[in-house]
Amino acid sequence: MAGLELLSDQGYRLDGRKATELRKVQARMGVFAQADGSAYLEQGNTKALAVVYGPHEMRGSRSRTLHDRAFINCQYSMATFSTAERKRRPHGDRKSAEMSLHLKQTFEAAVMTQLYPRSQIDIYVKILQSDGGNYSTCVNAATLAVIDAGIPMRDYVCACTVGFVDETPLADLCYAEESGGMSSLALALLPRGGQIALLQMDARLHQDHLETLIEAAMTACKGVSKVLDEVVRQHLQEVSVLTGE
Amino acid sequence: MKHDSSNQHLTQLPTSTHTPENQQNLQPDQDPPQPGQKQHKVEETAAGGKVLPGDLTHYVMPDATVVVDFLEILEFRQLQGIVFTQTACEALQSKGRRYYNRLRNLVKDPRHDCVLFANEFQEYSYCPREKGESQDKWMTRCVYSAAVWYYNHLAGMMSMVMITEDQEAVAQYSSLNSGVFVISIQDYLQNFWPELQAAHELYSSISQVLQEKEGEDSQKEFSEHLPVEVLEAGIKSGRYIQGTLNVSKHRAQNEAFITTEGLSSRNTDLSSDVLVFGGKHRNRAVHGDVVVVELLPKSEWRGRTTSLTEGQGDEKTEDDDSSAMPTGRVVGILQRNWRDYVVTFPTRDGTQNQSRNSQRILAIPWDRRIPKIRISTQQAEALQDHRVVVRMDSWDSTSLYPNGHSVRVLGRAGELETEVQTILMENCIHVPPFSDAQLREMPLNSPEKPWKVDPVQVRRRRDLRGTHLVFSIDPRGCEDVDDTLSVRRLADGTLLELGVHIADVTHFVQEGSLTDLEARTRATTYYLADRRYDMLPAVLSSDLCSLLGGVDRYAMSVMWELDAHTLAVNKVWFGRTLIRSSYQLHYELAQALLNGEPADVPELEQVGSEEKDAKLAELTQALEMLTHIARHLRAQRDRGGALELEGVEVRAQLDEDRNITALVPRQPLEVHETVAECMIYANHWVARKIQETFPSQALLRRHPPPRQELFRQLVETAKAQGFTVDTRTNKALADSLDRAVDLQDPLVNRLLRMMATQAMSQAMYFSTGAQPQDQYYHYGLALDRYTHFTSPIRRYADIIVHRLLTAAIAMDTGAEPKAPGSNKEVEETAHHINSKNRAAQRAQNLSMALFQCLYFKEKDPQTDPRCVANAVIYAIRDNGVLVFIPEYGVKGPVYLRNKEGQVVSVGPDGGCDWQSGSVRRHLDRISTESVGGSATFRLFEHVTVRISVQSSSCHADSLNLELIRNRPHGGPEAQRGPSQGRGQLVQEVVQEAVRLVQEAQQREARPRLSKEEKEFSQTRTPNLYSLLEEVRELALRDLDLDLDLDLDRSHPVCATTA
Repeated sequence: MAGLELLSDQGYRLDGRKATELRKVQARMGVFAQADGSAYLEQGNTKALAVVYGPHEMRGSRSRTLHDRAFINCQYSMATFSTAERKRRPHGDRKSAEMSLHLKQTFEAAVMTQLYPRSQIDIYVKILQSDGGNYSTCVNAATLAVIDAGIPMRDYVCACTVGFVDETPLADLCYAEESGGMSSLALALLPRGGQIALLQMDARLHQDHLETLIEAAMTACKGVSKVLDEVVRQHLQEVSVLTGE
Repeated sequence: MKHDSSNQHLTQLPTSTHTPENQQNLQPDQDPPQPGQKQHKVEETAAGGKVLPGDLTHYVMPDATVVVDFLEILEFRQLQGIVFTQTACEALQSKGRRYYNRLRNLVKDPRHDCVLFANEFQEYSYCPREKGESQDKWMTRCVYSAAVWYYNHLAGMMSMVMITEDQEAVAQYSSLNSGVFVISIQDYLQNFWPELQAAHELYSSISQVLQEKEGEDSQKEFSEHLPVEVLEAGIKSGRYIQGTLNVSKHRAQNEAFITTEGLSSRNTDLSSDVLVFGGKHRNRAVHGDVVVVELLPKSEWRGRTTSLTEGQGDEKTEDDDSSAMPTGRVVGILQRNWRDYVVTFPTRDGTQNQSRNSQRILAIPWDRRIPKIRISTQQAEALQDHRVVVRMDSWDSTSLYPNGHSVRVLGRAGELETEVQTILMENCIHVPPFSDAQLREMPLNSPEKPWKVDPVQVRRRRDLRGTHLVFSIDPRGCEDVDDTLSVRRLADGTLLELGVHIADVTHFVQEGSLTDLEARTRATTYYLADRRYDMLPAVLSSDLCSLLGGVDRYAMSVMWELDAHTLAVNKVWFGRTLIRSSYQLHYELAQALLNGEPADVPELEQVGSEEKDAKLAELTQALEMLTHIARHLRAQRDRGGALELEGVEVRAQLDEDRNITALVPRQPLEVHETVAECMIYANHWVARKIQETFPSQALLRRHPPPRQELFRQLVETAKAQGFTVDTRTNKALADSLDRAVDLQDPLVNRLLRMMATQAMSQAMYFSTGAQPQDQYYHYGLALDRYTHFTSPIRRYADIIVHRLLTAAIAMDTGAEPKAPGSNKEVEETAHHINSKNRAAQRAQNLSMALFQCLYFKEKDPQTDPRCVANAVIYAIRDNGVLVFIPEYGVKGPVYLRNKEGQVVSVGPDGGCDWQSGSVRRHLDRISTESVGGSATFRLFEHVTVRISVQSSSCHADSLNLELIRNRPHGGPEAQRGPSQGRGQLVQEVVQEAVRLVQEAQQREARPRLSKEEKEFSQTRTPNLYSLLEEVRELALRDLDLDLDLDLDRSHPVCATTA
């Protein structure tokens, strides 16, 4: 049965975007005073809150200490009110555990961990409202939080999901599109060097199309990085005015 | 929900390169519309290049309810400048996928002047739904605000007309803005399109239906359909079976079958189709719908009826010996496949009108498989006995019959033109005359401005004009020459070069042009008994694309370099060429040259005798070489198991005035086979080429091996006659058919071949990406890959193949790999062409049958000797036999038991009459027992039948056959001795045909028919045509299934006369 028409003949998507268009990204850094770094990011209707502690000395099991670099601890959770049906368990289920792992891998590739041997960096991300692209929103929010904490990174890490329908890649999927049954791919990119921090896909896709899809994802990530860069600069300006520099 | 998200996701363009189209949509004031062309920029981007014409007085924007209820009116091509709104689109989508797709196609089709405006994605035309506002009101407001925006966007240069059925909206909005008019659809039609009568009629018929709908009530006649989710779950779990409903032609009231073919059926244990018995179990499904059935318990299973019944309404419920098959009932319908139906309004008499409302008529569809349709109309009186096109609207569970509305009146039943239009309509063939816009695309070729070869093209193409002797061999008088041949010895003599040059249609028909679209829609040239509907405009099909003699033409060529001795292929060259055909030969002439008989070649009449001899020798040598190669190719294919199913064919030869000058049996000419073989070879090599270059998107033609169980009748029939037929492989079948010759009766072999043909599956087009490679095989021709390349003038498939080949050649020279279409598109096109080809075939057969009936209608069956004919029994049924009448090429049933239960009894002189008695059926014979004694009829026995026409006011007339003697009909047929061979049969056939010609000419002389000819401006000799078709039928050649055998030449008659 044919489901929703994800891409109309006129080239519009369900929410009126064109295929390569991103949702509106809005972000603020330094939303909490107590944490070392924090950020709030909205990508369309998906809203995420990221908090960073550290680098500090190892807590919990000391056996995880790494002697040449910092240990990155990530925790992903979704607010119970973030989805259309109330979530019973905000974190700790399989999906969240997997997401935490992905975040950890992404930031291990981006943060210059070798500067802080035998220490730990904690990244906590919470989805306040979920409307597709949870992973990418988390990565983008966490990037801002890490920058806010003043932890050196190789580059921004920007993430974006892309779907593939009617031979056309669609950038930055919303929930309706994600659940529409097309194959999608999540990609986290260090945009300046073009290095891929994480690439994840768990659907079927013909090999021939993979390249165009990655290409589209990278373009989208670069778009996100521009927005993030602007947010950081804006934030710095505000902070420097406040501190009177 | 959708709407607020669209509002919140305001556009954030990630990079600066993304600026163009969308921003224009969002910020119209930044880019003020320019006068002139630029003002249509929105449409241009929105609909992919479609632009509304600027020279209209207004653009019209229909309201959501108008689109939902009256889309059919908006489908008229005459209505121009329609702007559909997204709001209306979504309203339509909620009505059903089918309707939505229709709108989509409408917007896509460049022949319709309409565009889609995504008003809800436009910041300034979007209006959020207010609290407490009803959906309808909101949609109307949306459309109005879109209309206002559009008006302002066009800077007031074009008035906008919004049409709505909501009178309040008319009152509320009409005076708000000066350039935006709000009127009702009726006013709109009356004010702007007063002359478009068809639209007015359609409007009244639809609104009548809408009014009727409101007053529905009464008890349930059918059980409700289950919801889709339940059906899908049921199909998945195997509880229900999904399939296409096929109503039995002869017992339309009761029997229908579900064919699961082509659909993934989980029940692999269900090998056969599912029977749906009776109207209750069919539960409002109509022939062709995709339905879901539930199997009944085994105790309620029934068998299919195999006895012959007469027409419809025959409620015979006898159980016969055929085994019970799975029986089920319809629980839901997944997809309605309703099309336009032709119905006949019954003659009115007082008793027939049972319905309470006198305006409701039960109209009887022409197709017996379709239930009666209830039509609400006020024109019932005027439409009596007229054939009308109707559409079904709905079928509620409270109603015994579906509701519909009339669309178009075709004419009075029984009139020739009406009947022909009915045939076209019933097969979904739409052949409007080519529009002016389409003809404008055509190159000019008039005496004042003759068409010339473009020097640019000369440089690009290989010029064969000086180097190659190119000639064509076609039926005499042929106008559309698709193909020419050339053959020559290369310099050292050890190599031969064979060339097939095909008209380069794709040079003139650009992909995506209006002509291309029209050709694609038609997919093939339609040949009816009395007329022809061309796929391409005449300037192409019979002039610029036709490879006529003595003029320069563009061609697409395949040239092989063959070893002169072994004939092995050394090299193949494909490419575009420029040719000038030296000789436009016809078959008989070519054969005469081959045989060394004296012949006049028209091209050499002016030439001196010495030069003439030299040229003749050159031509004859080329023909001989060609024949030599073709024999070799044929032998090669025969070893692979190619089937020969064709029989004798007779062809009429026409002079300039299109009178028949002679009838020539076609079969003995080897040159036919020679030409056909070269074409098959070219098709095969092109198929190889495009398949290798585009492994997943080439258009090929495959002929799947037949299902063995379908051969059962053939094998059993042959056994009854003492032959064994081996059907395991195509080679075994071909060999055993060759052996199955009865010297006493050559008809036996022809009938066996006919049955074999019937058992075959249809050859069809497909995209190579959609089938595994082992399925590419062409069973009939015994080739691993095959396609159609050689007749681009009359088949659209060939045009696609030409484009594929062009792309393949371009890739060889280093161009970017660029396929003309994706696998999905090619497969869709292939499906379309296949279905159109089947429709064309059906239409051709139906029009043939129509003319047969017209022929016999004018004769009195009791007195006219021509209504009595010799017939051969070729199948046995429970209460009768099926016979074939070679004289007229008619197949039909003969009843041995009539409706009163009487059976045929044979008198001592062989004459037959009806007496009470019983019928017994055996494997190879059927016998009747009656007071007058017993009579037995065996397979392949010759009998005499009387042909009469069974008239029917609502359906097509049919021929009725009645047994009058159990011996062959008198005349030469009866006394034919065993020594007589096939050739003599041919002569008899010819004599027979000549007799028919005279009859036809006599008939033509009658004033009534010729008046019709004038009135409907048909071709000058319609009945001659039917006669030629009859003659062709004698050859048993078309047999419903084209097998590609020599298909390139399968329309010689049509080509010569039309």
